[in-house]
Amino acid sequence: MEKLKRARITSRGRVHEGIMLPSPKKEFLVLKLDSGYNIGIRKEGAKVEELGEVKVETGGEKKMETKKGRGDIAIIGTGGTVSSKVEYKTGAVFPSTTPEDLAKNIPGLDKVCTFHAREVFAILSEDMTPAHWSVAAAEIKKEIDAGAKGVVVLHGTDTMHYTSAAFSFMLQDSPVPIYLVGSQRSSDRPSTDARINMLNACFAAANGPMANVGICMHAGMDDDACVIHLGTKARKMHTSRRDAFKSVNVPPLAKVDYRSSLIEPYMKYKERGGKLKFDNRVNENVAMVYTYPGIHPEFVDKLSSYEGIVIVGTGIGHVPTNPFGDKLAKRITPNLKALVDSGIPVAFASQCIFGRINMDMYAAGRMLQEAGVFGHLADWTPECAYAKMCWVLGHEKRVDKVKGEMMRNIAGEIAERSEVL
Amino acid sequence: MKCGLEIHQRLDTGKLFCRCSSTLADTERSPEYKLKRRLRASAGEMGELDIAARMEQEKEKEFHYDGFFESCCLVEADEEPPLDMDAEALRIVLGIAQQLHMDVCDELHVMRKIVVDGSNTSGFQRTCLVATGGYLETSKGKVRISTVAVEEESSGIVAEEAHIKHYRLDRLGIPLIELATEPDILDAEHCKETAEKIGLILRATGKVARGIGTIRQDVNVSTERGARVEIKGAQDLRTIPLYVQNEVKRQEELLRVIGEVGKRIGDKEIKPKVVDLTKTFAKTECGLIKKGLEAQTGKPGTNMGKAEGLHGLTGGHVLGIRLEGHEGLIGRELVPGRRYGTELSDYAKSAGVKGIIHSDEDFAKYKISDAEKEAVRKALGVKKGDAFAMVVAHKTTAERALHRVLERANMRRVPEETRKANQDGTSSFMRPLAGRARMYPETDLQTIEITDKLLGEAKAAAGGGLEEKEKKLGGILNPEMAGRMLRSRNLQLFEELVEAGAEPMLAAGTLEQTLVELRREGLELARPREQLMELFAEYGKGLFVKAAIPEILRGMCGGKKVREAAKGMERISGAELGKLIKEKKDFGAIMREYRLRVDAGELKKAMEGK
Repeated sequence: MEKLKRARITSRGRVHEGIMLPSPKKEFLVLKLDSGYNIGIRKEGAKVEELGEVKVETGGEKKMETKKGRGDIAIIGTGGTVSSKVEYKTGAVFPSTTPEDLAKNIPGLDKVCTFHAREVFAILSEDMTPAHWSVAAAEIKKEIDAGAKGVVVLHGTDTMHYTSAAFSFMLQDSPVPIYLVGSQRSSDRPSTDARINMLNACFAAANGPMANVGICMHAGMDDDACVIHLGTKARKMHTSRRDAFKSVNVPPLAKVDYRSSLIEPYMKYKERGGKLKFDNRVNENVAMVYTYPGIHPEFVDKLSSYEGIVIVGTGIGHVPTNPFGDKLAKRITPNLKALVDSGIPVAFASQCIFGRINMDMYAAGRMLQEAGVFGHLADWTPECAYAKMCWVLGHEKRVDKVKGEMMRNIAGEIAERSEVL
Repeated sequence: MKCGLEIHQRLDTGKLFCRCSSTLADTERSPEYKLKRRLRASAGEMGELDIAARMEQEKEKEFHYDGFFESCCLVEADEEPPLDMDAEALRIVLGIAQQLHMDVCDELHVMRKIVVDGSNTSGFQRTCLVATGGYLETSKGKVRISTVAVEEESSGIVAEEAHIKHYRLDRLGIPLIELATEPDILDAEHCKETAEKIGLILRATGKVARGIGTIRQDVNVSTERGARVEIKGAQDLRTIPLYVQNEVKRQEELLRVIGEVGKRIGDKEIKPKVVDLTKTFAKTECGLIKKGLEAQTGKPGTNMGKAEGLHGLTGGHVLGIRLEGHEGLIGRELVPGRRYGTELSDYAKSAGVKGIIHSDEDFAKYKISDAEKEAVRKALGVKKGDAFAMVVAHKTTAERALHRVLERANMRRVPEETRKANQDGTSSFMRPLAGRARMYPETDLQTIEITDKLLGEAKAAAGGGLEEKEKKLGGILNPEMAGRMLRSRNLQLFEELVEAGAEPMLAAGTLEQTLVELRREGLELARPREQLMELFAEYGKGLFVKAAIPEILRGMCGGKKVREAAKGMERISGAELGKLIKEKKDFGAIMREYRLRVDAGELKKAMEGK
């Protein structure tokens, strides 16, 4: 419940009556008329007569009764559009609904699984840091230790694939599935995709045979089946579409449609059971940098304060190397070599996103390898390489060991084969 | 009686919140892509969940959309946030608002009006109040204009199955100006006059779309003892008075029915048990029931599992309720063709059933036997003076439908409703009148500040309005044609033709007479604008004479180009005409033979000159 003021505003001979709402711009007053429309009235010269208070319910929809205690599925909230609400001061969408509210507001969720929910943070995913991954992973561990059959994490979509990659390393061999769920249309609108993404994720978490870290989102533009992408292989590839997430270089882990009780795996998955290998230590001092035409070698030098670097270069494994001594071109390989020589591990990922890195093919790639940059034959996404570097550096500093760990496939991040998809 | 109008008119611009064309795809064109969606209602800004929205949601429909690449982008698909409001559309609306002496808001807030019937992929219609407090002069005094808003057109419905609604996306997002009057309209004729005048003002801007479906009039009727009712979708101005008359009558008759019920049972709420009558009809001859019992084994096209909370889908059920004190009233005619039972049935339909069977009906018509009827009466505990109603459907759907019937029967007042205009001048219940809980801010868009500069530009672009247009037409056409053209759907095209150099009287005659006559013969121009432009351009060059125009148009209706259609009708003029005069000598004889090729004026002059 919130108390708002009813008011009559007279401005330039016009009289409007309604409920005063917070205004996004300070030069205007915002009035909600009885018809439901909002209008803005210039403050200057406006006379406001207050007509008493009105109580309004701001708690959203009528709450469903929730069962007390623990359910099979642990729902953990971290924020994002999936648990967002309208913020009237700015008129923007902000994460503020607790996952509990959300769960209650998703009709049918209680028929898909039993669940309990709690909020770890309420932040936008663009504000996530490796430290947040660490904290959230520890919370997930608690749920797994307490016997959850599956964990569903509500997360903003922007950096969800970074988090899913990090969880894949921090929560290895999890006996139960850990699915991240987001939404591209906020929960306050009738067409939200949050409901179907949530229902499918919870359904798969409760009933599926898989126990991987994954991202569960719409398979296409239809409100139909969802796909679960492997946590290390997913990437947000669209700013606004429901099916923004794609699996890179591998098929999705599985297709899910709770309405027809469908869970159809598309690739080899980790089965339920086994023992969780937990290690949530991270190093936050890692940089990820795009190379681009005209990049200044001095810019690379400036990265010397970092403890690990992911260079997102071009093509199959290239950065500017100027092997033919062109007058206008500049090379950055010596600068990268200097970083490596100073003890900083430097990994390579490609701006192409899709496809495997091969640094043997052209001179530039070989020069990179000579400089000590690794990543040859990896088919990881830049974001996964970055999350992995943060995690590896969390418990290993020796460059050789770091390189060895980075190039070892831990959670499906480096596929052996490049499948025809 | 009090009556107000709400007019929706499509604007002739691109779409309101994306840069797609507002040109609809051909109706025969098959869709280039399809979308499947579901919607759920969410609470408005004030935390209330609007009753109209909730009712639609309860129908648990799936929505299928047909998409077309040219006229629909990711915005219509609800896969991208809206872009800025179309500047031209806003300018037009600001212009019209000023012509109606309205106060334009200082800052515009685009709102989301929740509509979960699937007609909007987002589950809401974007709408924006632009101005308030204007008026319009009519023969019976001022009619106050309460609001002018700009909003998005909805998707067009293509088909409806039990649980799937099919829509086309191409119409979605076309800008509409919505104009609402205060209930200042005095009678049916006045209503027609007001609607007509508003239509004229809108068309006089030259910026509104033409053709069937581009303007819609909703009628708001309130009676003193009844309620405010909005009747949607009257396509023809001439039928508006009939809708108003029928609505007044319906409300009067409803009050009589309510009075009668009150006399019999007082104010008490009736709370009958819902009884399962399926067994009673195990061996029924009634086709309707038989079919209902067999067919309800699943939702076609969907695979709704138990997770959706739709239990009991294994077979159809006949459910019934006793309606205490309602005997004879359910069959009571309110307006021609519509009984009180029809109202109850409309409510039941909103729960997803096809209708109800009630005790004031002729059961022989349904092939329901007397024994069955008696068994039903017994099972429901129906006594003298009572009525009953039955529904055949899935158990949950049927239960919901009967609860709707009860809800309606217990209202004991005329409910505030949005009703659909039927072809015959009556109306059917669509949904409860939507309240303010349906509105919350469109958070994807910034507010729009209205500056004096913007208002000035809009005023200039709108021109002088209706009066100036009347004057202008009066100057180039005879009074009769000027009056006719002002009201014509062809006004905009006429102005374009004249601007391009066509003779005003000839252009007006062609549009208002020649083409109308051809239409009666079943002939129509496929692309009137382009084809008439071409026709008058060639006429201006002297290719043919006025008298040949109907014949040439006839050819053009068949798909011919002007030059092709004019073959054999080329104008005889100058030296050639001189030759003809020498040969024939007589004016009358030449005109008789060469009427379609010789201009009488030129011939006369040429002969006088001789």
